[in-house]
Amino acid sequence: MVDFRRFSIGRRRFLKTTSSLIGASALSGLGSAARAADDVVRIGFLAPLTGPVAAWGKPGLDGCQIWAEWVNEEGGIKLPDGNRKVEFVSYDNEYDPAVARTGATKLIREDGVSFIMMLGGDTWPGVQPVADRTGMLFSTLLPSDLSPDTPTLVAPAEVHPVYNVTGVAWLAENKPDLKTAVMCAQDDALGLPSVATYLAAFEAAGIEMLEEPLLFDPATTDFAPVVTRLIAGNPDIVCLDTCYSDYVHPICEQLFQQGYKGQIISCTADFYDQIIAKTSKEFMEGFVFQFPDFDDPALNAEGINFRDPNRFFEVYNERHPGEWGAVSWEYASIMDLWKAAAEKAGSVEPEAVLAAMQDGGKGLHAFGEADWWGEDLFGINNALVGNWPVVVIEDGKAVIKEMRSIPDWYAAHGDLLKKHMEAYGQMWNQRG
Amino acid sequence: MPRTVLLVILWAAVAAVLVALPHALSFSQQEILVFMTINLLVVASYRLLTLTGEWSLGHVVIVGVGAYASALYTKELGIPVPVSMLLGACTSALIAMGLSYPLFRMKGFYFLIGSFAAGEIIRLLWKRFREPFGGPKGIKGIDPMPDFSIGIWDFDFFEPVSYYYFAGAVVALCLWLLWRIERSPVGLTFHAVHWQDKLAQSAGVNVRAYRTLAFVVASGFAGLAGALGAHYIGTINPNGFDVETMVFVLTWTIVGGTATFYGPLMGCIALTVLNEIVLREMGFEQMRPLIYGAVLILSILFLPKGLESLVQKLVKPRRVEP
Amino acid sequence: MFDLLAQTGLNALYAASYISLVAVGLVLIFGVMGVVNFAHGELFMAGAYVVVALYAGGGAPFLLAVAAGLGFVGLLGLLMEFALFRPLRDNPLGGLVASIGFLMILQATAVMGFGVRMEHIPPVTQEVIAFSEKVRLPMSRLYVIVAAVVLLGALWYFLKRTRFGWALRASAQDAEAAALQGISIGQTARIAMFIGAGLAGVAGALTAPLVSVNPHMGHSVIVTAFIVIIVGGVGSLEGAVVASVAYAFVHTLVTTFWDGVIADIVGLSLMLVVLIVKPTGLFGTADRA
Repeated sequence: MVDFRRFSIGRRRFLKTTSSLIGASALSGLGSAARAADDVVRIGFLAPLTGPVAAWGKPGLDGCQIWAEWVNEEGGIKLPDGNRKVEFVSYDNEYDPAVARTGATKLIREDGVSFIMMLGGDTWPGVQPVADRTGMLFSTLLPSDLSPDTPTLVAPAEVHPVYNVTGVAWLAENKPDLKTAVMCAQDDALGLPSVATYLAAFEAAGIEMLEEPLLFDPATTDFAPVVTRLIAGNPDIVCLDTCYSDYVHPICEQLFQQGYKGQIISCTADFYDQIIAKTSKEFMEGFVFQFPDFDDPALNAEGINFRDPNRFFEVYNERHPGEWGAVSWEYASIMDLWKAAAEKAGSVEPEAVLAAMQDGGKGLHAFGEADWWGEDLFGINNALVGNWPVVVIEDGKAVIKEMRSIPDWYAAHGDLLKKHMEAYGQMWNQRG
Repeated sequence: MPRTVLLVILWAAVAAVLVALPHALSFSQQEILVFMTINLLVVASYRLLTLTGEWSLGHVVIVGVGAYASALYTKELGIPVPVSMLLGACTSALIAMGLSYPLFRMKGFYFLIGSFAAGEIIRLLWKRFREPFGGPKGIKGIDPMPDFSIGIWDFDFFEPVSYYYFAGAVVALCLWLLWRIERSPVGLTFHAVHWQDKLAQSAGVNVRAYRTLAFVVASGFAGLAGALGAHYIGTINPNGFDVETMVFVLTWTIVGGTATFYGPLMGCIALTVLNEIVLREMGFEQMRPLIYGAVLILSILFLPKGLESLVQKLVKPRRVEP
Repeated sequence: MFDLLAQTGLNALYAASYISLVAVGLVLIFGVMGVVNFAHGELFMAGAYVVVALYAGGGAPFLLAVAAGLGFVGLLGLLMEFALFRPLRDNPLGGLVASIGFLMILQATAVMGFGVRMEHIPPVTQEVIAFSEKVRLPMSRLYVIVAAVVLLGALWYFLKRTRFGWALRASAQDAEAAALQGISIGQTARIAMFIGAGLAGVAGALTAPLVSVNPHMGHSVIVTAFIVIIVGGVGSLEGAVVASVAYAFVHTLVTTFWDGVIADIVGLSLMLVVLIVKPTGLFGTADRA
C-alpha cells in the first residue's frame, strides 16, 4: 500500500524512488525497466506512429535511427564514467492525450529513458502533469506548447511559426513590387499561430491583406472552392500558411489549374518535386518556403551544426525513398543538441542536461548558434531561436537563398507579432 | 440464508481483488486501468440506451459534453471539481433531453444516423467557437481532483492508483445504479419497448417517453464518465470524441454482447487489454490496427452473441430472472 | 461576381460527380444487404491505391488503372459479401462491426504497403478549358464528371432494363417476397456488393490524381456519403444522386462565400432538418427501420 502515498519528495528523488517501486510492481512480468543502469542510454520517442497524424512522427523516428547508428558507431554518448550507446524506445501516442500520458509514464517509469521527444500539440497537455511530477526533460516540435508552467519542456528544433517571418521579409526585400496578399489556413493548432505570424510579417513588410484569412477544416478533400475564393481578388501573393503537405499539393494544383500566375509563399513544401510534376516548373519558379533539402551546399557552411547534412539526406532517401520531409531531420537535430549538452554536463540526468543545454542562454541550433528565447510569446525562454533558411524553388530545385535572423526581425517588429498573436488567442497566457 | 452469505463473500472477494489489482500492474498498465475503468461506465451507460432498441452514434459526443461542461464549470466559474463533475453529468442529461425531441422522431437506422449528425454538429461547434470551447485545440490545464487524506492514506490524484480508487468507486456506484434501474419496473419497460414496441404501446406505455427517459439517464452517466476522464487527463479536444472513438465503444459493446449487463463490460475489458497491452507488448506498431480489425471480425463471426455467450454457456442460469 | 459564381458552379459539379458515385454504391449495398457499410470510405481509398500502384507505380495507362480499380474493389466487395455479410445475414449490427474491422484492415494494409505519407500521382492531363480568365474547367475534372454520368447512366439502364436489375430492385424492396418469386438472394447480394464497392473504387481511382491519396482519406468521404444518403432517402438511388448534387452545391457555395467549417455545419444541419421533417429522406418511401 505504499504506492499511493503522496509523493511530496523532490523531483530528483522521485525519479530514483520510482525505480525501486518498479520492483514492487514487477509482478506483471512486463517491467522492461528491470534492465537497470547499463551502458545504454534510452531516449523516448513519443509521437503518433499510426493514424492520420503519423506522417509527423514516423519519418522522424526513421531519421533518429540513422542518427543513433552514426553516434553508436563512434562509441555513443561520451560521459566521464564511460561511453553509452543510444537506444530509442518508441511509444505510439496515436495523437491522443490520454495515450500520450500512458506512454510518458511507461517511458519514464518502466523503460527508464533520460529524455523524451514529442511532436507535441494536442498530446502535450496530457503529458504535462507527468512532466511536472517527474522533472523529465521533453522536447516538442510545436513551441506553442511552451508555458512558464513547464520548465522542462524545450522547443529546440523549430520555433514554428515564428521563423515564417523570414520568408516574408526576404520576399519584401527582393520582390518589392508585390503589394497585396491573401491567405488560407487549416483551422487548428498548427494553422492558427501561423496565421498570426504571417499577418504580422505582411504588416511589417507593408504588404496589404486583401481579405481575412480563409480557414478550412482539416477534413477538406476538394480545394477548388477555397482556391476560387482566394484568387477572386487578384492578389499578388497567395500565402498557404502552415498546412499539411496533403493540402499544400492539391491547393497548388488548383492554383495552377485555375490560372493563378502570381507569387506563392508557404511554410512547407514537402515533396515539392511532386508539386512541380502536377503543375509546371514555370508555375513553381520562385515559390518561397522554409525547409531546405539537406543536400543543399549552403548547409556545409561554417556554423551549421547538423552532422553531415548531405550524407544524412542521401542515406535517408536510400532507406526511405520518397519520405523526406521537414520532420525527417528535426528530431535528429534535437538529438545533436541533446548529445552535446549531455557530454558537456557529463551526465544524462534530465536536470543536468537541461542546464548544460541552456548554459549562457545560447545553444547550437541545427542552423547555427541561437538564443534561448520566447519569454514574450511563450512566457519562458525555452525556444531556441536564431537564423532560419529562406528557401526558394529555382529551376525545379529548392535553394537556400539566405540564412535570415529571426531575433533581428523580432527586435524591429515584435509588437506586431504580439498584437496578431493576441488577436488569434495564441499568447501563452491566452491558451486555456 | 446461506445463499446471501455466499453472495456477500463473493462480492467481498471481488472487491478485494479490485482493490489489490493496481498493485500487480506496471505503471503504464495502471494508467490504462484508469481509462478502462472510466470506459466501463461509458459502455454500461451505452447499454442502457440500447435496451430500448436504439443504437446511437452520438454517445461519445455526449461523453464529451460532460467533459467539456465539467471542465468549463471549474475553469470559468470556479466550481469545485467533484460538484462540477455532477453538474457535467446533469448537463449531458439536459443536452440529451434537448436532442431527444428531434432524434426520437426517428427509429432504427435513421436514429443511428440522426444521432451521428447531431453529435457531429456539437463537435463542429466546439471546433468553431474558440470562446469558450477552445477550438480545435480544446481545453487544457483542467483542474485535477483536489488531493485529500483519509487517516493514514493520502490520495494524490495525479497517481493512477489513487485515481483508480476514486474513479473505481464512482463507477462501481454508477454500475450498481444502472443495474438497479434495469431491474426496476422502468427498466423492464425499456425491454418491453424494445421487443414489443406495438404491444407496449397498446398496453398504454408511452413508448417515446420511455425511449427519451433511457436516453437521458444513459447520457447523464455518460457525461459523468466524460468528466471523470477530463479531470484526470487535464485536457480535452474535439477529436477525442470523434466517430472513431465511437467506433471503439460500439465494438466493445457488440463484441461483448448486449443481452446481459456484464457483456459490454467484458467486451471493453477484453479489447482494451488486447489493444493496449498485448499488441503493444508484442511490438506491433503499424500492424496493431490490422490485428485489432481481424480480431473484431473473427469474434463477430464466431461469437455472434458476444463474449457473454461464453459465460452463459459455462454458468447455466440457476434461477429464473426476476 | 458572375465569374466567381460560374467557377463555383463548376467546382460543385465535380464534387457532385464523385460524391454521387460513392453514395449510390452505399445505397445499393444498404438496400440489398441491409448493412451500413462503414468500410465504404476505405473502398474509395483502395480504388485510389490501385491507381497509385498501376498508373503511378507501374506506368499503366490511366484508364486501364481506373478499370482495374473498379474491378479490384468490386472483388473486395465480393470478398466482404462472402466472408462477412453472408455469414452475418441475420445480424445487421454484426455486419456493421465486421465492416469496421474490415476498414481497419484495409487502412493498416495501405499503411504497411505504401507508408503513412501521401502518394504522388502524376497528372493525367494538364489541359484546361478556359471559358474566361476566371472560369476554367480542368480536363481532369471534366473526365470525372463525364465518367460519373456514364457510369450512373449505365447503372440506371442495368437496373431498369435488365432482368438482373429487376431482381436487384425487387430484393432491395422486399427480400422475402423476391425469394418467393425465385430470385436468388445470394446472387443479387453478390451483384449488389460488386457494383456498390466497384463504384466506390472507381470514384477513388478517378479522383486519385486530384486529391491527396493517403491511408486515411476515406474518412471524410464516408461522412459526406452518409449525409447524402440520408438527405436523399436511404433506399433511393435517384435520391442519392439528387442529394449529392444538392449537397455539393450548398457545401461549395458556403465554403466559397463563408468558410469550410461553417459549410460542414450547414451540411449536417441540412441532414438533421430532413431527418426531422421527413425521416425517410427526400425520395425515400418505405420505412426501413
